Amino acid sequence: MTAVILDGLVLGLQFGLLGVGMTLVYGLGGVLNLAHGQIAVFGAIVTSLAMTSGARAFWAALIGVAFAGLVGLLLDRTLMRPVYRREGEERVLLGLLLTLGVGFVIEGLLVWRYPIQQLSLNIGGSAVEILGVRMRTGSLLASVISVAVAVVLVLFFRYTSLGKAVRSVIQDEVGARLVGVNPNAVRSLIFFVSAALAGLVAVTRSMTSPILVTAGVNLTILALIVTVVGGLGSVSGAFLAGLLLGVVHTVSSFLIGSYITTIVLLAAAALTIVLRPAGLLGRPG
Amino acid sequence: MLEVDALSTGYLGEDVIHDIEFRVDDGEAVAIIGSNGAGKTTLFRALCGILPVSGGSIRFADREVTGLPTHRLARAGLAYVPAERHLFPQMTVGENLALGSYPERPDTRVLSMVWSLFPRLAERSRQQAGTMSGGEQQMLAVGRALMSKPRLLMLDEPTTGLAPKLAADAYTALGELRAQGLTLLVTEQQLPLALDLADRGYVLANGRFELEGTCAELEANPEVRRAYLGVA
Amino acid sequence: MMASKTGARRRPALLAAYLPVVVAAALLALPPIWLSDSRLWMRIAIGWLVFAAYGIAFNVIFGSTGQLFLCIGALAGIGGYGTVILADQVGIPALPAVLLATLTSCLLGSALSWVAVRRSLGVIFTGIVTLTFSLSFSNLVLGQRGLTGGETGLLVSTGSASLLRNRLSAYYIFLALVVVFLAVFRFLQRSHIGWAFRALRDDEVAAGLAGIDVARFRVIGGMIGSAMLGLTGSLFAVYEGFIGPTTYDFAGIDIRVIVMLAFGGIGTLLGPVIGAVFFRVLDEYLIEFGQLREVVYGVLIVALFLGFRRGLLPSVQNLFARVLRSRSNPKGD
Repeated sequence: MTAVILDGLVLGLQFGLLGVGMTLVYGLGGVLNLAHGQIAVFGAIVTSLAMTSGARAFWAALIGVAFAGLVGLLLDRTLMRPVYRREGEERVLLGLLLTLGVGFVIEGLLVWRYPIQQLSLNIGGSAVEILGVRMRTGSLLASVISVAVAVVLVLFFRYTSLGKAVRSVIQDEVGARLVGVNPNAVRSLIFFVSAALAGLVAVTRSMTSPILVTAGVNLTILALIVTVVGGLGSVSGAFLAGLLLGVVHTVSSFLIGSYITTIVLLAAAALTIVLRPAGLLGRPG
Repeated sequence: MLEVDALSTGYLGEDVIHDIEFRVDDGEAVAIIGSNGAGKTTLFRALCGILPVSGGSIRFADREVTGLPTHRLARAGLAYVPAERHLFPQMTVGENLALGSYPERPDTRVLSMVWSLFPRLAERSRQQAGTMSGGEQQMLAVGRALMSKPRLLMLDEPTTGLAPKLAADAYTALGELRAQGLTLLVTEQQLPLALDLADRGYVLANGRFELEGTCAELEANPEVRRAYLGVA
Repeated sequence: MMASKTGARRRPALLAAYLPVVVAAALLALPPIWLSDSRLWMRIAIGWLVFAAYGIAFNVIFGSTGQLFLCIGALAGIGGYGTVILADQVGIPALPAVLLATLTSCLLGSALSWVAVRRSLGVIFTGIVTLTFSLSFSNLVLGQRGLTGGETGLLVSTGSASLLRNRLSAYYIFLALVVVFLAVFRFLQRSHIGWAFRALRDDEVAAGLAGIDVARFRVIGGMIGSAMLGLTGSLFAVYEGFIGPTTYDFAGIDIRVIVMLAFGGIGTLLGPVIGAVFFRVLDEYLIEFGQLREVVYGVLIVALFLGFRRGLLPSVQNLFARVLRSRSNPKGD
């Protein structure tokens, strides 16, 4: 069972980062990016293509993540402009619908052009022992990278002036403008970071199981569940929710089965909305 | 420093303020007086770019700034303390103040000036802004605005929700800033404090300036006394 | 509650109000004359009737009462799978099975509405909750292989001798369904209920203050809409003879309905019908494009929702109306 839980935590780290990406964009701009998973897959496919062209895994991954980030930036600078001009519920609705469409476009193009492409980063080496449990090197590397990225994010948001500027926009956009923060520039930056994070999650995920070109929708749904359970807009909430749901996912799959597991996760999201919409750590209201 | 000409703006296509014209010179303190709904907040929002302008022009430090987004105005030296304060609730007092000088790093001299001006803030430097009382939040809002070393400080009803003692304290602090040469633009409902502080004033009613003059003149004006000072 | 329409003065108004329904019915009764020989075209034609029905139901739920139900397919699927399971596996005769399944859809849809209202879930949260419902349904269908046939689906033996299996009679049955739905929609629009719907869609707070029981009307909207969905889903299952996990899933139904209404107009009477016709034909044409079909959907969604707030057709109509008005009034209003 410990092995299962450990696996769950590894998965949870990735779920967490996936949710953090989505919740950042929502917290800053009120946009629920339903193309998040497809952008992740895009990053994975780019990495895969780079590797087929001969690039070393490390560089290919970097390129993939960067390209994913660029897609996010592009999306923010173009289609999100009219969305940001709207207010309140109209903005959320339009953002949701537009990103839904974009998700289709990305996935459709990828599947059409590279129907059998997939990303599978095989990290060689024998299994390692952690806490008395054997762990594949792929899992280990993925976890290390995830934790490192999470730490970098925390440091960024807490201690750098740009990170604080981002938080200021989330907490009070008018106040941010009053102190000289440009919300549009911050939103673009964060969209880039969010998309790059998505790409990174896909790349690290591929270290343990292959990312298929059709995985976009599932990843988006996963990100959505994690984001909702963690509280829309709460970065730490999303990370915590990710860890929790990762463990729930593996334990449930182990004990019950994959279809029911998905339903359990979906139910978690629905129950959170109905019972405690602020999520695990979100601000009420 | 600030010149406003024929300014009109409002909400949802309807103008709330019409043909506003006034100026604030370097080192002056100007008060804008008016009751609820006269348009004071609308005017201030237009001045800092929060509200789009439907007509007229605004010049700040000899530059045409009409229509500039708020953050550009802030970086150009125009600091605004709105009635709603717009603090960052989950950040500490210290973090709020530090952001005040964005994108520059906080100037330690200005920071010490703020601490000495508002000792209560210094005591609570690690407290989250959202958990503080109204008076403390007001002080923090002013302090944050000061961190940007502004050329012009605008305050919208700084005494809202403050007990009389705190209100007086706030104006004492503003008086000190004034003495140090800061240019101030204040709107108030609570007249005596504002009139004491400022050199000149304008009376805003129904979206237009009805009276203007030095504060001494305004204080002596019987209409003003009746309508805003509650004195016969 | 029901507006009484007595008096000769009211009659013309009544006729005028339902005229579009009658005209639509008449027009839609015609295609089989040309198409009944072509199996393909009859399939397409029935397809557009079915989607028109889904669209009208969505209009009642979202267009009228502003509840973003992203589980249209699932609610229809409960009708469909419910009917097939009850009829083929439990042995209940076809008609009661259809009714029971429809009732189940109706109850579930009403429950969703009720929960959303009680917990004051906004559009987004309602959307997410209903989406999870939809996805859970899909997973349930896939997982409970014993009951639902999982990936392989179920052959529908009930009703195999019925009128629904005949292309021509099926067409007219679904046409009758659509006409009834249109009439119901029209009736709702004109009635006290419709007035309440519009009020609460436009400004919920004001409506509440005006004494409108927002909760009640939202649930009524959810109830009627999901009943429509359950019924359509049930009848479709019998007609098609086969249902599988892709028959009622989000990608197969909800997305299509959204695009359809983006084109035809959300909240309008004939929007779903026109949108469905356009869309079903487009869909068929796009089949040969394979995966690119998804891209086209995506582009359509983006373009339509960016460009037109309430749908392509209503915007065009508005444009027309404005042009006509300025023509007849050269000096302007």
